[in-house]
Amino acid sequence: MLWQKSWLDTRWRFLIGFALMTCGAVFIVTLYVRVRGLLPQLSALDPGSSELGRIIREAAELQKTYRGFIWSQWFRQTPTQTGTLFAILLGSGGLLSQGAAGQLFTLSLPVSRARLVGARAATGLAEWAAMALAPSLVIPLLSPAIGESYPFSTALVHGLCIFVGGAVFFSLAVLLSTTFTDLWRPLLIALAVAIVGGVIELAVVGPTRFGTFCVMTGENYFRTGVVPWGGLVVNAAIAVALLYGARVALEHRDF
Amino acid sequence: MADSTAGGILTIETIDLRKQYDGGVEAVRGLNLRVPAGSICGFLGRNGAGKTTTIKMLLGMTRPTAGSGRVFGLAIDDLVSSVAIRRRTGFVSDEKDLYDSMDAGDLIRFTARLFPKWRADLEQQYLRRFEIPLSARVRTLSRGGRTKLALLLALCRGADLLILDEPTSGLDPAATEEVLQALVAHVAAAEGTVFFSSHQIAEVDQIADRVAIIDKGRTVVEGALDDLRERYRRVQFVFDADAPAVPDLLAQSTGIQRVRRSGRVLSVLTNGSADAIIDRARALRPVSVDVATVTLKEIFLETVTAEDSGA
Repeated sequence: MLWQKSWLDTRWRFLIGFALMTCGAVFIVTLYVRVRGLLPQLSALDPGSSELGRIIREAAELQKTYRGFIWSQWFRQTPTQTGTLFAILLGSGGLLSQGAAGQLFTLSLPVSRARLVGARAATGLAEWAAMALAPSLVIPLLSPAIGESYPFSTALVHGLCIFVGGAVFFSLAVLLSTTFTDLWRPLLIALAVAIVGGVIELAVVGPTRFGTFCVMTGENYFRTGVVPWGGLVVNAAIAVALLYGARVALEHRDF
Repeated sequence: MADSTAGGILTIETIDLRKQYDGGVEAVRGLNLRVPAGSICGFLGRNGAGKTTTIKMLLGMTRPTAGSGRVFGLAIDDLVSSVAIRRRTGFVSDEKDLYDSMDAGDLIRFTARLFPKWRADLEQQYLRRFEIPLSARVRTLSRGGRTKLALLLALCRGADLLILDEPTSGLDPAATEEVLQALVAHVAAAEGTVFFSSHQIAEVDQIADRVAIIDKGRTVVEGALDDLRERYRRVQFVFDADAPAVPDLLAQSTGIQRVRRSGRVLSVLTNGSADAIIDRARALRPVSVDVATVTLKEIFLETVTAEDSGA
């Protein structure tokens, strides 16, 4: 019942995000046909021995295999950028920002606030799971159409990494939405945290085992083939803690 | 305050209930309220008197700062009890805020699933009576239409208590009458309790059998309407010269709510013994004494403005 209300609140954000992410995955797969045609030219590339040259060489090396191309062009980029934005969008809003559109009606229903947060979180996480997994699974489904193959299991692990990492930002937005009474502040603060966090994690500190963005990109899994259980568990725990915080905040809120 | 509820089952009871918001605003300052089961209680007060805050506390939407409150004997500040209270309570808010994005029919089905005692028979009855278009988006309904839908959603819950925050605000007289009649008919059929706030004293006079008047967060009058009408009297003394300043011997009388002096006339509102006041005032040698009954509107106006003047 309550999920129905949450679905009505978030369905357009979800549908737009889902369509964007899925179309993006389809585009990346079809793009490989063109990239494959350019591969012979890569051997003639001489980027030099500087740091920039090293980065260009590494990027070029990744394009040589279909798996490397998919990781560098899809899993490392779109889910961590567009995906994070939509995870935050799905977590923003809710009871506090409803204002006159049914806030007191909701509060007069015979359900606890913990259940309200639970329904909101469950619906949002289900939407985010679909958004994280479906585009990832499109890749192995479409790959045979361009004469390539991509393991379902690999796509599934990457999808899981995207889901868990994004769940942290989703949960942060849910928590902020139990603090601020409008839609925009939770959204903008969560985005600011994501951007600053991303810069610190990826540009300053460098790849880490437990970092949210590193988990989202699945870099360790791509390079070693080992599922990053530690990072997944740590980030899932952070998401759960943030949702618990949202529950406590809502339970103590006066309306 | 004499109370005919003594010994009866109380649906709502608050003792010294207080609410101070974070900004320091004290919305409710020691509210004592007793609403017996089966009654229709009008909750009167000026804007900002604390009516809506009280209602929110009763429904667990806002936590009391101090004091205690019970609905159906359950503590209003307990999270689990609060859910049980809401399961047995129908509520219509002042703003009639509903889910704008839903159709009326979807909203009815959504609400029905949350209340095990949902009255499908009443639903059909009120749909016909209120002429609510099921396929219409809630946001497209008129104010009257929203109010009727909100009322349907409250009445069909199979609730033992209806809490209505200004249910007729913004309605035309015909729609107001329709809503009031629906409330009376509902209580007559279901033997529930109704607690409703209003600025319309005539409405309260029309359908309530009890009244609670609140001012600046405190109860100033509470009781059965018939008792109030019986108890409250205006005693008017006319003197052959200017009326004396509020005499000590009157001030010592019990039950005096308000004393007004205007030229040769001294007017006393009392909920105590008018005879005792007349006996005491005899020494002042008034040329005439008149005792009159008072309306609910007069009681309201005198008690809330008396609070202003500190009488």
